[in-house]
Amino acid sequence: MSENIIEIQHLEKNFGSHKVLSDIDFSVKKGDVTTIIGVSGSGKSTLLRCINVLETPSGGKILFHGNDIDEKGFSVTDYRAKVGMVFQSFNLFSNMTVLQNCMVGQVKVLGKKKAEAEEKAKYFLEKVGMLPYINAKPKQLSGGQKQRVAIARALAMEPEVLLFDEPTSALDPQMVGEVLAVMRQLAAEGLTMIVVTHEMAFARDVSNHVVFMKDGVIWEEGTPEDIFANPKKEETKDFLSRFIN
Amino acid sequence: MAEFIEGIVKVWNGYGSSFLNGALNTLIVSLVGTIAGCIIGFGVGVVQTIPTDKKDPLWKRVILTVVNLILKGYVELFRGTPMIVQSVFIYYGVRMVFDYQMDVWPAALFIVSINTGAYMAETVRGGILSIDPGQTEGAKAIGMNHFQTMMNVIIPQAFRNIIPQIGNNFIINIKDTSVLSVISFADLFFTHKSAVGALYLYFESATITMAIYLVMTVTASALLRLLEKKMDGDDNYDLATTDTLAYTSGLLSYHPKEKTLEDFK
Repeated sequence: MSENIIEIQHLEKNFGSHKVLSDIDFSVKKGDVTTIIGVSGSGKSTLLRCINVLETPSGGKILFHGNDIDEKGFSVTDYRAKVGMVFQSFNLFSNMTVLQNCMVGQVKVLGKKKAEAEEKAKYFLEKVGMLPYINAKPKQLSGGQKQRVAIARALAMEPEVLLFDEPTSALDPQMVGEVLAVMRQLAAEGLTMIVVTHEMAFARDVSNHVVFMKDGVIWEEGTPEDIFANPKKEETKDFLSRFIN
Repeated sequence: MAEFIEGIVKVWNGYGSSFLNGALNTLIVSLVGTIAGCIIGFGVGVVQTIPTDKKDPLWKRVILTVVNLILKGYVELFRGTPMIVQSVFIYYGVRMVFDYQMDVWPAALFIVSINTGAYMAETVRGGILSIDPGQTEGAKAIGMNHFQTMMNVIIPQAFRNIIPQIGNNFIINIKDTSVLSVISFADLFFTHKSAVGALYLYFESATITMAIYLVMTVTASALLRLLEKKMDGDDNYDLATTDTLAYTSGLLSYHPKEKTLEDFK
Protein backbone atom coordinates (compact mmCIF):
# COMPACT_ATOMS: atom_id res chain seq x y z
CA MET A 1 0.00 0.00 0.00
CA SER A 2 2.94 2.29 0.43
CA GLU A 3 3.04 3.22 -3.24
CA ASN A 4 -0.22 5.12 -2.78
CA ILE A 5 0.42 8.85 -3.04
CA ILE A 6 -2.92 9.74 -1.55
CA GLU A 7 -5.10 7.45 0.46
CA ILE A 8 -8.48 8.49 1.75
CA GLN A 9 -10.05 6.57 4.61
CA HIS A 10 -13.64 6.96 5.81
CA LEU A 11 -13.64 10.66 4.95
CA GLU A 12 -16.62 12.64 6.20
CA LYS A 13 -17.65 16.24 5.78
CA ASN A 14 -20.60 18.05 7.32
CA PHE A 15 -21.68 21.61 6.81
CA GLY A 16 -23.60 22.12 10.04
CA SER A 17 -26.12 19.31 10.23
CA HIS A 18 -25.93 18.76 6.49
CA LYS A 19 -23.90 15.70 5.59
CA VAL A 20 -22.03 16.30 2.33
CA LEU A 21 -19.60 13.38 2.32
CA SER A 22 -19.86 10.12 4.17
CA ASP A 23 -17.45 7.22 4.39
CA ILE A 24 -15.35 8.03 1.34
CA ASP A 25 -12.56 5.54 0.68
CA PHE A 26 -10.23 5.55 -2.25
CA SER A 27 -6.59 5.80 -3.12
CA VAL A 28 -4.42 7.24 -5.84
CA LYS A 29 -1.17 5.73 -7.08
CA LYS A 30 1.58 7.43 -9.02
CA GLY A 31 0.54 7.96 -12.62
CA ASP A 32 -3.16 7.37 -11.94
CA VAL A 33 -5.69 9.53 -13.68
CA THR A 34 -8.77 9.36 -11.50
CA THR A 35 -11.97 11.01 -12.61
CA ILE A 36 -14.81 11.71 -10.24
CA ILE A 37 -18.21 11.93 -11.90
CA GLY A 38 -21.73 12.46 -10.65
CA VAL A 39 -24.52 15.03 -10.65
CA SER A 40 -23.98 18.52 -9.24
CA GLY A 41 -24.33 18.56 -5.49
CA SER A 42 -23.13 15.00 -5.05
CA GLY A 43 -20.06 16.16 -3.11
CA LYS A 44 -17.41 15.81 -5.82
CA SER A 45 -15.94 19.29 -5.44
CA THR A 46 -16.12 19.13 -1.66
CA LEU A 47 -14.14 15.89 -1.78
CA LEU A 48 -11.47 17.53 -3.91
CA ARG A 49 -11.38 20.60 -1.65
CA CYS A 50 -10.97 18.33 1.37
CA ILE A 51 -7.99 16.65 -0.32
CA ASN A 52 -6.36 20.08 -0.70
CA VAL A 53 -7.47 21.10 2.82
CA LEU A 54 -9.41 24.07 1.51
CA GLU A 55 -12.19 22.43 3.52
CA THR A 56 -11.44 20.75 6.84
CA PRO A 57 -12.82 17.22 6.87
CA SER A 58 -15.21 16.43 9.73
CA GLY A 59 -14.02 12.86 10.05
CA GLY A 60 -11.82 10.18 8.55
CA LYS A 61 -8.26 10.43 7.36
CA ILE A 62 -6.30 11.59 4.35
CA LEU A 63 -2.86 10.03 4.05
CA PHE A 64 -0.14 11.53 1.88
CA HIS A 65 2.61 8.95 1.32
CA GLY A 66 1.27 7.24 4.41
CA ASN A 67 1.38 10.35 6.63
CA ASP A 68 -1.83 11.67 8.13
CA ILE A 69 -2.20 15.26 6.89
CA ASP A 70 -4.15 16.11 10.04
CA GLU A 71 -1.25 15.06 12.26
CA LYS A 72 0.51 17.66 14.40
CA GLY A 73 3.68 18.86 12.75
CA PHE A 74 2.46 18.05 9.24
CA SER A 75 2.91 21.20 7.20
CA VAL A 76 -0.23 21.92 5.22
CA THR A 77 1.50 24.57 3.11
CA ASP A 78 4.28 22.16 2.08
CA TYR A 79 1.63 19.57 1.31
CA ARG A 80 -0.35 22.02 -0.84
CA ALA A 81 2.80 22.85 -2.79
CA LYS A 82 3.02 19.16 -3.73
CA VAL A 83 -0.68 18.75 -4.44
CA GLY A 84 -1.66 21.32 -7.04
CA MET A 85 -5.18 22.47 -7.75
CA VAL A 86 -6.91 23.90 -10.79
CA PHE A 87 -10.22 25.63 -10.12
CA GLN A 88 -13.42 25.98 -12.07
CA SER A 89 -13.14 29.76 -11.80
CA PHE A 90 -9.39 29.80 -12.62
CA ASN A 91 -8.45 32.00 -9.62
CA LEU A 92 -5.50 33.58 -11.39
CA PHE A 93 -3.95 36.45 -9.45
CA SER A 94 -5.43 39.51 -11.14
CA ASN A 95 -2.65 41.84 -9.99
CA MET A 96 0.02 39.86 -11.84
CA THR A 97 0.90 39.10 -15.43
CA VAL A 98 0.68 35.59 -16.82
CA LEU A 99 4.39 35.07 -16.25
CA GLN A 100 4.28 36.41 -12.68
CA ASN A 101 1.35 34.14 -11.93
CA CYS A 102 3.49 31.16 -12.83
CA MET A 103 6.56 32.44 -10.98
CA VAL A 104 5.28 33.70 -7.64
CA GLY A 105 4.74 30.28 -6.07
CA GLN A 106 8.14 29.01 -7.18
CA VAL A 107 9.92 32.07 -5.79
CA LYS A 108 7.95 32.61 -2.57
CA VAL A 109 7.04 29.06 -1.61
CA LEU A 110 9.79 26.93 -3.12
CA GLY A 111 12.45 29.61 -2.66
CA LYS A 112 13.78 29.37 -6.22
CA LYS A 113 15.88 32.04 -7.90
CA LYS A 114 13.95 34.37 -10.20
CA ALA A 115 15.83 33.34 -13.34
CA GLU A 116 15.24 29.67 -12.68
CA ALA A 117 11.56 30.27 -11.90
CA GLU A 118 11.13 32.27 -15.08
CA GLU A 119 12.69 29.56 -17.19
CA LYS A 120 10.46 26.92 -15.67
CA ALA A 121 7.36 29.11 -15.94
CA LYS A 122 8.08 29.69 -19.62
CA TYR A 123 8.61 25.99 -20.18
CA PHE A 124 5.19 25.15 -18.76
CA LEU A 125 3.49 28.09 -20.46
CA GLU A 126 4.85 26.83 -23.77
CA LYS A 127 3.46 23.42 -22.93
CA VAL A 128 -0.06 24.84 -22.58
CA GLY A 129 0.37 27.10 -25.60
CA MET A 130 0.38 30.37 -23.65
CA LEU A 131 4.00 31.46 -23.99
CA PRO A 132 3.19 34.43 -26.27
CA TYR A 133 0.92 35.85 -23.57
CA ILE A 134 3.42 36.16 -20.74
CA ASN A 135 2.93 39.94 -20.50
CA ALA A 136 -0.86 39.84 -20.47
CA LYS A 137 -2.97 40.33 -17.34
CA PRO A 138 -5.64 37.71 -16.57
CA LYS A 139 -8.50 40.13 -17.36
CA GLN A 140 -7.20 40.37 -20.92
CA LEU A 141 -7.51 36.64 -21.59
CA SER A 142 -10.38 34.41 -22.63
CA GLY A 143 -11.66 31.73 -20.27
CA GLY A 144 -9.83 28.90 -21.99
CA GLN A 145 -6.60 30.87 -21.99
CA LYS A 146 -7.00 31.66 -18.29
CA GLN A 147 -7.53 28.01 -17.48
CA ARG A 148 -4.44 27.00 -19.46
CA VAL A 149 -2.41 29.60 -17.53
CA ALA A 150 -3.89 28.25 -14.29
CA ILE A 151 -2.75 24.76 -15.30
CA ALA A 152 0.74 26.10 -16.09
CA ARG A 153 0.81 27.87 -12.72
CA ALA A 154 0.00 24.62 -10.95
CA LEU A 155 2.50 22.65 -13.06
CA ALA A 156 5.26 25.16 -12.37
CA MET A 157 5.21 24.00 -8.76
CA GLU A 158 5.98 20.50 -10.12
CA PRO A 159 3.36 18.85 -7.94
CA GLU A 160 3.14 15.12 -7.36
CA VAL A 161 -0.60 15.19 -7.87
CA LEU A 162 -2.73 17.74 -9.66
CA LEU A 163 -6.38 18.19 -8.69
CA PHE A 164 -8.82 19.57 -11.25
CA ASP A 165 -12.13 20.93 -9.95
CA GLU A 166 -14.45 21.00 -12.95
CA PRO A 167 -11.80 22.77 -15.04
CA THR A 168 -14.02 23.16 -18.10
CA SER A 169 -17.41 23.89 -16.54
CA ALA A 170 -17.10 27.66 -16.84
CA LEU A 171 -16.04 27.51 -20.49
CA ASP A 172 -17.92 27.52 -23.77
CA PRO A 173 -17.62 24.40 -25.94
CA GLN A 174 -14.81 25.72 -28.13
CA MET A 175 -12.64 26.50 -25.16
CA VAL A 176 -13.40 23.20 -23.46
CA GLY A 177 -11.51 21.56 -26.32
CA GLU A 178 -8.32 23.52 -25.83
CA VAL A 179 -8.23 22.84 -22.09
CA LEU A 180 -9.00 19.13 -22.49
CA ALA A 181 -6.23 18.88 -25.10
CA VAL A 182 -3.74 20.11 -22.51
CA MET A 183 -5.10 17.73 -19.89
CA ARG A 184 -4.91 14.76 -22.25
CA GLN A 185 -1.32 15.59 -23.00
CA LEU A 186 -0.47 15.79 -19.28
CA ALA A 187 -2.17 12.46 -18.64
CA ALA A 188 -0.19 10.90 -21.50
CA GLU A 189 3.01 12.18 -19.92
CA GLY A 190 2.20 10.31 -16.74
CA LEU A 191 1.11 13.14 -14.45
CA THR A 192 -0.95 11.92 -11.51
CA MET A 193 -4.31 13.66 -11.65
CA ILE A 194 -7.65 13.65 -9.87
CA VAL A 195 -10.27 15.26 -12.06
CA VAL A 196 -13.80 16.23 -11.11
CA THR A 197 -15.57 16.56 -14.43
CA HIS A 198 -18.76 16.43 -16.43
CA GLU A 199 -16.77 15.54 -19.56
CA MET A 200 -17.68 11.87 -19.89
CA ALA A 201 -15.55 11.33 -22.97
CA PHE A 202 -12.51 12.51 -21.04
CA ALA A 203 -13.37 10.22 -18.13
CA ARG A 204 -13.84 7.28 -20.47
CA ASP A 205 -10.83 7.79 -22.73
CA VAL A 206 -8.18 9.35 -20.54
CA SER A 207 -8.64 8.13 -16.99
CA ASN A 208 -7.75 4.71 -15.66
CA HIS A 209 -9.96 4.95 -12.59
CA VAL A 210 -13.49 6.32 -12.49
CA VAL A 211 -15.36 7.15 -9.29
CA PHE A 212 -19.11 7.70 -9.46
CA MET A 213 -20.55 9.72 -6.61
CA LYS A 214 -24.11 10.31 -5.57
CA ASP A 215 -25.44 11.97 -2.39
CA GLY A 216 -21.99 12.21 -0.83
CA VAL A 217 -21.20 8.54 -1.20
CA ILE A 218 -19.04 6.62 -3.67
CA TRP A 219 -21.68 4.58 -5.40
CA GLU A 220 -19.45 2.69 -7.78
CA GLU A 221 -15.83 2.82 -8.88
CA GLY A 222 -13.60 0.96 -11.27
CA THR A 223 -11.91 1.14 -14.63
CA PRO A 224 -13.60 3.17 -17.36
CA GLU A 225 -14.72 -0.12 -18.95
CA ASP A 226 -16.37 -1.20 -15.69
CA ILE A 227 -18.23 2.04 -15.28
CA PHE A 228 -19.08 3.01 -18.83
CA ALA A 229 -19.56 -0.40 -20.47
CA ASN A 230 -20.80 -2.50 -17.56
CA PRO A 231 -22.21 -0.30 -14.83
CA LYS A 232 -23.55 -2.52 -12.06
CA LYS A 233 -25.76 -0.10 -10.14
CA GLU A 234 -29.05 1.29 -11.41
CA GLU A 235 -28.05 4.81 -10.34
CA THR A 236 -24.86 4.68 -12.39
CA LYS A 237 -26.77 3.54 -15.48
CA ASP A 238 -29.32 6.28 -14.90
CA PHE A 239 -26.68 8.95 -14.63
CA LEU A 240 -24.76 7.77 -17.69
CA SER A 241 -27.83 7.36 -19.86
CA ARG A 242 -28.56 11.06 -19.46
CA PHE A 243 -25.13 11.91 -20.83
CA ILE A 244 -25.16 9.43 -23.69
CA ASN A 245 -28.42 10.80 -25.08
CA MET B 1 -15.04 96.02 -3.16
CA ALA B 2 -11.94 98.13 -3.52
CA GLU B 3 -11.65 98.10 0.23
CA PHE B 4 -11.91 94.33 0.29
CA ILE B 5 -9.13 93.93 -2.28
CA GLU B 6 -7.03 96.41 -0.41
CA GLY B 7 -7.56 94.37 2.73
CA ILE B 8 -6.48 91.19 1.00
CA VAL B 9 -3.35 92.85 -0.29
CA LYS B 10 -2.64 94.13 3.18
CA VAL B 11 -3.03 90.71 4.77
CA TRP B 12 -0.91 89.13 2.07
CA ASN B 13 1.84 91.71 2.32
CA GLY B 14 2.03 91.26 6.03
CA TYR B 15 1.52 87.51 6.31
CA GLY B 16 2.04 86.02 2.80
CA SER B 17 5.08 84.02 3.71
CA SER B 18 3.47 82.88 6.97
CA PHE B 19 0.43 81.66 5.02
CA LEU B 20 2.66 79.70 2.64
CA ASN B 21 4.65 78.32 5.51
CA GLY B 22 1.44 77.33 7.31
CA ALA B 23 0.16 75.67 4.13
CA LEU B 24 3.40 73.73 3.84
CA ASN B 25 3.13 72.56 7.45
CA THR B 26 -0.47 71.52 6.85
CA LEU B 27 0.59 69.54 3.78
CA ILE B 28 3.47 67.84 5.55
CA VAL B 29 1.44 66.80 8.59
CA SER B 30 -1.45 65.60 6.41
CA LEU B 31 0.77 63.65 4.04
CA VAL B 32 2.91 62.02 6.73
CA GLY B 33 -0.20 61.36 8.83
CA THR B 34 -2.01 59.74 5.90
CA ILE B 35 0.95 57.54 4.95
CA ALA B 36 1.63 56.50 8.54
CA GLY B 37 -2.10 55.99 9.03
CA CYS B 38 -2.16 53.72 5.98
CA ILE B 39 0.68 51.63 7.36
CA ILE B 40 -1.08 51.34 10.71
CA GLY B 41 -4.32 50.55 8.89
CA PHE B 42 -2.74 47.78 6.83
CA GLY B 43 -1.10 46.29 9.92
CA VAL B 44 -4.35 46.28 11.86
CA GLY B 45 -6.39 45.12 8.86
CA VAL B 46 -4.08 42.17 8.18
CA VAL B 47 -4.01 41.05 11.83
CA GLN B 48 -7.80 41.31 12.05
CA THR B 49 -8.26 39.06 9.03
CA ILE B 50 -5.96 36.24 10.21
CA PRO B 51 -8.15 33.17 10.03
CA THR B 52 -8.40 31.05 13.16
CA ASP B 53 -9.02 27.37 13.15
CA LYS B 54 -10.30 25.15 15.91
CA LYS B 55 -7.17 23.08 15.33
CA ASP B 56 -4.80 25.96 16.09
CA PRO B 57 -3.04 25.69 19.45
CA LEU B 58 -4.77 27.39 22.37
CA TRP B 59 -2.03 29.99 22.94
CA LYS B 60 -2.33 31.19 19.35
CA ARG B 61 -6.08 31.59 19.61
CA VAL B 62 -5.83 33.37 22.98
CA ILE B 63 -3.18 35.79 21.75
CA LEU B 64 -5.13 36.53 18.59
CA THR B 65 -8.33 37.14 20.54
CA VAL B 66 -6.59 39.52 22.95
CA VAL B 67 -4.76 41.37 20.16
CA ASN B 68 -7.97 41.68 18.17
CA LEU B 69 -9.79 43.09 21.20
CA ILE B 70 -7.06 45.69 21.73
CA LEU B 71 -7.13 46.66 18.06
CA LYS B 72 -10.90 46.93 18.11
CA GLY B 73 -10.66 49.16 21.19
CA TYR B 74 -8.10 51.33 19.41
CA VAL B 75 -10.30 51.73 16.35
CA GLU B 76 -13.40 52.55 18.41
CA LEU B 77 -11.55 55.00 20.67
CA PHE B 78 -9.95 57.07 17.94
CA ARG B 79 -12.85 56.89 15.52
CA GLY B 80 -15.33 57.71 18.22
CA THR B 81 -13.77 60.87 19.67
CA PRO B 82 -13.04 64.20 17.97
CA MET B 83 -9.45 64.82 16.88
CA ILE B 84 -9.48 68.21 18.58
CA VAL B 85 -10.15 66.55 21.93
CA GLN B 86 -7.59 63.82 21.23
CA SER B 87 -4.99 66.51 20.53
CA VAL B 88 -5.52 68.21 23.85
CA PHE B 89 -5.86 64.93 25.69
CA ILE B 90 -2.58 63.52 24.34
CA TYR B 91 -0.54 66.74 24.29
CA TYR B 92 -1.37 67.79 27.84
CA GLY B 93 -1.96 64.26 29.10
CA VAL B 94 1.59 63.21 28.31
CA ARG B 95 2.89 66.20 30.21
CA MET B 96 0.74 65.44 33.24
CA VAL B 97 1.23 61.69 33.38
CA PHE B 98 4.80 61.23 32.16
CA ASP B 99 6.12 64.63 33.14
CA TYR B 100 7.44 65.04 29.62
CA GLN B 101 6.83 68.02 27.34
CA MET B 102 6.23 66.76 23.80
CA ASP B 103 7.36 69.01 20.97
CA VAL B 104 4.52 70.30 18.84
CA TRP B 105 5.67 68.62 15.63
CA PRO B 106 5.97 65.04 16.92
CA ALA B 107 2.72 65.49 18.82
CA ALA B 108 0.93 66.69 15.69
CA LEU B 109 2.30 63.87 13.53
CA PHE B 110 1.45 61.29 16.18
CA ILE B 111 -2.11 62.49 16.63
CA VAL B 112 -2.90 62.67 12.92
CA SER B 113 -1.28 59.27 12.27
CA ILE B 114 -3.13 57.28 14.90
CA ASN B 115 -6.37 59.04 14.10
CA THR B 116 -6.04 58.25 10.41
CA GLY B 117 -4.87 54.73 11.28
CA ALA B 118 -8.15 54.03 13.07
CA TYR B 119 -10.16 54.99 10.01
CA MET B 120 -7.80 53.24 7.61
CA ALA B 121 -7.99 49.99 9.62
CA GLU B 122 -11.66 49.70 8.75
CA THR B 123 -11.05 50.78 5.17
CA VAL B 124 -8.31 48.18 4.74
CA ARG B 125 -10.48 45.49 6.30
CA GLY B 126 -13.20 46.36 3.80
CA GLY B 127 -10.65 46.33 0.98
CA ILE B 128 -9.39 42.89 1.98
CA LEU B 129 -12.92 41.50 2.30
CA SER B 130 -13.78 42.88 -1.15
CA ILE B 131 -11.22 40.65 -2.86
CA ASP B 132 -12.72 37.48 -4.34
CA PRO B 133 -12.08 34.54 -1.97
CA GLY B 134 -10.93 32.64 -5.07
CA GLN B 135 -7.74 34.70 -5.01
CA THR B 136 -6.97 33.44 -1.52
CA GLU B 137 -7.77 29.87 -2.52
CA GLY B 138 -5.56 30.15 -5.57
CA ALA B 139 -2.70 31.33 -3.37
CA LYS B 140 -3.29 28.66 -0.74
CA ALA B 141 -3.42 25.99 -3.43
CA ILE B 142 0.17 26.72 -4.44
CA GLY B 143 1.27 26.51 -0.82
CA MET B 144 1.35 30.14 0.28
CA ASN B 145 0.79 30.89 3.96
CA HIS B 146 -1.45 33.71 5.24
CA PHE B 147 1.34 36.29 5.26
CA GLN B 148 2.58 35.44 1.75
CA THR B 149 -0.97 35.44 0.42
CA MET B 150 -1.60 38.86 1.94
CA MET B 151 1.65 40.46 0.78
CA ASN B 152 1.71 39.09 -2.76
CA VAL B 153 -1.91 38.70 -3.76
CA ILE B 154 -4.51 40.33 -1.54
CA ILE B 155 -2.94 43.60 -0.37
CA PRO B 156 -1.81 44.81 -3.81
CA GLN B 157 -5.38 44.36 -5.03
CA ALA B 158 -6.97 45.73 -1.87
CA PHE B 159 -4.65 48.75 -2.02
CA ARG B 160 -5.74 49.54 -5.56
CA ASN B 161 -9.39 49.29 -4.51
CA ILE B 162 -9.06 51.61 -1.53
CA ILE B 163 -7.04 54.38 -3.19
CA PRO B 164 -10.19 56.54 -3.52
CA GLN B 165 -10.75 56.15 0.21
CA ILE B 166 -7.10 56.92 0.98
CA GLY B 167 -7.51 60.06 -1.12
CA ASN B 168 -10.61 60.92 0.88
CA ASN B 169 -8.65 60.59 4.08
CA PHE B 170 -5.81 62.72 2.76
CA ILE B 171 -8.20 65.50 1.82
CA ILE B 172 -10.02 65.23 5.14
CA ASN B 173 -6.62 65.46 6.87
CA ILE B 174 -5.65 68.59 4.95
CA LYS B 175 -8.75 70.28 6.34
CA ASP B 176 -9.03 68.66 9.75
CA THR B 177 -5.44 69.23 10.79
CA SER B 178 -6.68 72.80 11.37
CA VAL B 179 -7.77 71.53 14.79
CA LEU B 180 -4.09 71.13 15.69
CA SER B 181 -3.99 74.87 16.26
CA VAL B 182 -5.29 74.05 19.75
CA ILE B 183 -1.82 72.74 20.57
CA SER B 184 -0.28 75.72 18.75
CA PHE B 185 0.77 73.78 15.70
CA ALA B 186 1.62 76.44 13.09
CA ASP B 187 -0.58 75.21 10.28
CA LEU B 188 -2.55 77.28 7.78
CA PHE B 189 -5.46 77.92 10.12
CA PHE B 190 -3.09 78.93 12.91
CA THR B 191 -1.56 81.52 10.54
CA HIS B 192 -5.04 82.83 9.78
CA LYS B 193 -5.72 83.24 13.48
CA SER B 194 -2.44 85.10 13.97
CA ALA B 195 -3.15 87.35 11.00
CA VAL B 196 -6.61 88.35 12.19
CA GLY B 197 -5.31 88.80 15.69
CA ALA B 198 -2.99 91.50 14.44
CA LEU B 199 -4.95 93.09 11.59
CA TYR B 200 -8.62 92.44 12.45
CA LEU B 201 -9.33 91.67 8.78
CA TYR B 202 -11.40 88.54 9.34
CA PHE B 203 -13.13 88.17 5.97
CA GLU B 204 -10.06 89.02 3.93
CA SER B 205 -7.83 86.60 5.80
CA ALA B 206 -10.48 83.87 5.67
CA THR B 207 -10.76 84.33 1.92
CA ILE B 208 -7.04 83.76 1.49
CA THR B 209 -7.14 80.74 3.80
CA MET B 210 -10.11 79.24 1.98
CA ALA B 211 -8.41 79.70 -1.39
CA ILE B 212 -5.19 78.04 -0.24
CA TYR B 213 -7.07 75.08 1.29
CA LEU B 214 -9.05 74.65 -1.90
CA VAL B 215 -5.95 74.73 -4.10
CA MET B 216 -4.35 72.07 -1.93
CA THR B 217 -7.34 69.72 -1.90
CA VAL B 218 -8.11 70.06 -5.61
CA THR B 219 -4.46 69.41 -6.50
CA ALA B 220 -4.39 66.42 -4.17
CA SER B 221 -7.44 64.82 -5.72
CA ALA B 222 -6.08 65.37 -9.24
CA LEU B 223 -2.77 63.74 -8.27
CA LEU B 224 -4.58 60.79 -6.72
CA ARG B 225 -6.58 60.21 -9.91
CA LEU B 226 -3.30 60.15 -11.78
CA LEU B 227 -1.89 57.57 -9.39
CA GLU B 228 -4.97 55.38 -9.85
CA LYS B 229 -4.60 55.52 -13.60
CA LYS B 230 -0.96 54.62 -13.35
CA MET B 231 -1.66 51.63 -11.10
CA ASP B 232 -4.27 50.24 -13.47
CA GLY B 233 -1.56 49.92 -16.10
CA ASP B 234 -1.89 49.78 -19.84
CA ASP B 235 -5.04 48.34 -21.36
CA ASN B 236 -2.94 46.67 -24.05
CA TYR B 237 -0.20 44.11 -23.87
CA ASP B 238 2.48 42.90 -26.25
CA LEU B 239 2.70 39.36 -27.41
CA ALA B 240 6.13 38.05 -26.54
CA THR B 241 6.81 36.66 -29.99
CA THR B 242 7.50 37.79 -33.53
CA ASP B 243 5.49 34.92 -34.95
CA THR B 244 2.32 36.47 -36.37
CA LEU B 245 0.56 33.13 -36.21
CA ALA B 246 0.79 33.39 -32.43
CA TYR B 247 -2.16 35.78 -32.53
CA THR B 248 -4.38 32.85 -33.29
CA SER B 249 -3.05 30.64 -30.53
CA GLY B 250 -5.63 30.03 -27.90
CA LEU B 251 -8.33 29.77 -30.51
CA LEU B 252 -9.45 26.53 -32.06
CA SER B 253 -6.24 25.28 -33.57
CA TYR B 254 -4.18 24.54 -30.53
CA HIS B 255 -1.87 21.57 -31.05
CA PRO B 256 0.44 20.77 -28.19
CA LYS B 257 3.98 20.23 -29.33
CA GLU B 258 6.74 18.43 -27.60
CA LYS B 259 9.40 20.59 -26.05
CA THR B 260 11.79 19.90 -23.25
CA LEU B 261 13.31 22.17 -20.68
CA GLU B 262 16.49 22.17 -22.80
CA ASP B 263 14.80 24.28 -25.48
CA PHE B 264 14.60 27.17 -23.07
CA LYS B 265 18.25 27.25 -22.08
